[in-house]
Amino acid sequence: MKLRTLKYFFKEALQSLFRNSWMSVASIGAVASALIILGAFLMLAINVDYIAKDVESQVEITAYLKDGLNQLQVDFLKKQIQNMEEVSEFKFVSKEEAFEEFKKQVGPELLEGIENPLPNSFRIKVKTPKDVVSVAEKIKALQGIEEVKYGKGIVEKLFKITYWMRVIGIAVMLAFAALSVFIISNTIRITVFARRREIQIMKFIGATDWFVRWPFFIEGMILGLIGSIIAILILAVSYNYFYNTIKFNLPMISLVPVQLFYSYLPYFGLMGMFLGALGSGFSLKRFLKV
Amino acid sequence: MIEMYNVTKIYSGGHIALQDITVKIQKGEFVFIVGPSGAGKSTFIKLLIREEVPTNGQIFFNGKNITRMKHSQVPFLRRRIGVVFQDFRLLPQKTVYENVAFAMEVIEAPLREIKKRVPKVLEMVGLSHKINAKPHELSGGEQQRVSLARALVNNPDVIIADEPTGNLDPDTSWEIMKLLNEINMNGTTLIVATHAKDIVNAMRKRVLQLDSGKLVRDEERGVY
Repeated sequence: MKLRTLKYFFKEALQSLFRNSWMSVASIGAVASALIILGAFLMLAINVDYIAKDVESQVEITAYLKDGLNQLQVDFLKKQIQNMEEVSEFKFVSKEEAFEEFKKQVGPELLEGIENPLPNSFRIKVKTPKDVVSVAEKIKALQGIEEVKYGKGIVEKLFKITYWMRVIGIAVMLAFAALSVFIISNTIRITVFARRREIQIMKFIGATDWFVRWPFFIEGMILGLIGSIIAILILAVSYNYFYNTIKFNLPMISLVPVQLFYSYLPYFGLMGMFLGALGSGFSLKRFLKV
Repeated sequence: MIEMYNVTKIYSGGHIALQDITVKIQKGEFVFIVGPSGAGKSTFIKLLIREEVPTNGQIFFNGKNITRMKHSQVPFLRRRIGVVFQDFRLLPQKTVYENVAFAMEVIEAPLREIKKRVPKVLEMVGLSHKINAKPHELSGGEQQRVSLARALVNNPDVIIADEPTGNLDPDTSWEIMKLLNEINMNGTTLIVATHAKDIVNAMRKRVLQLDSGKLVRDEERGVY
């Protein structure tokens, strides 16, 4: 493509933007609001995800050993569990350590003179939280394990909730993306319609489809980009406010850090441009069939 | 140069616009297409510039079968054809110069060539003095000259004119026809669909007469 042609495309796109200035403002507003809603949802979704992951990662399996195992048997168990692929962290807690911990919690005076009733145990964390149940079952089946605890029920429920949060989140995001495309394509359709004579003439002169298309694509992308910049600014400011408010009032909830949320925002610019281009592509289709 | 073999066009509503047309037009010819409204003149032209595809039959342009042409190839066919319409179809916000230059910009001609070629073509059609005027400041005849200049600017093999004098008074019509004749003298093939009986009778060119979609007459040096 020649530089002059490129210049022509941008000139045409900008001219059309300013010529239909009120329509441009309306569509920028539409893109911005669609992306803000999308962003607000993203904000919610990634936070639920983050909190869920946080809770998930705290889930650990405690496996109690039978009493009276010799060192060799304990070492063998250790090896078996450590060799499981799903296991990420592994800690042996001896009878004595467990008793010390217990003493600390209850107060040493109370347990004076009582013989240690606690068994040896392993504390195990898994790489992916959804493996908790299967790993627990596997460990339970090993020789020399008395009992396995992992917060049964709670873990499964949590996984179900986060699974549905993700599914619904993706569905809603797709719906809003489709809505944005629809709004942009309607806006571009109006400019295309206003210039249908021009397009017709271009086609008769022998312009290729892409020559006709580019200015509208650029117009759509500019609309999408400006809309997304507005959305990004509003989202950035409001997340910062939201984060600080929650952190101050509900410090036990761990939210996605502001910086991490900001790192998602540049994609909104790309998404705005993509939606703009897609919208203008849809609205042009009919007019190119000359 | 243009060959049609058994071309039939039936529109989706069932209307038969053209029926079994076979005709050859040689390079350098001047051909009038005459006939009452609805006889199929417009469809004939639409098929040539591939705005429509025939229901049956084949059309060749410079030996190339344009009925089997890919959509992406159509622009390159149209660059070999200059089209002139009854309603001029100029871009109202562009000047005379820009309207003509636009046809060259669209095919990405070099700027140097555009600057050289556009004034030359405007001189040919006698509009050198109106180069910076907008279409609405021009008379109908002048507007048609601009559209003719635009059709000519890329040196097409053929110029197709659909009722080029339909919106013009008799004197102006004559001027446009003389201009078309001059262009034809310079070697460009011309196909003109028209109602202008007097002009056709006076010019004594080849006449194709259509009636209800059929080619009823093909006469050298014919009359209306």
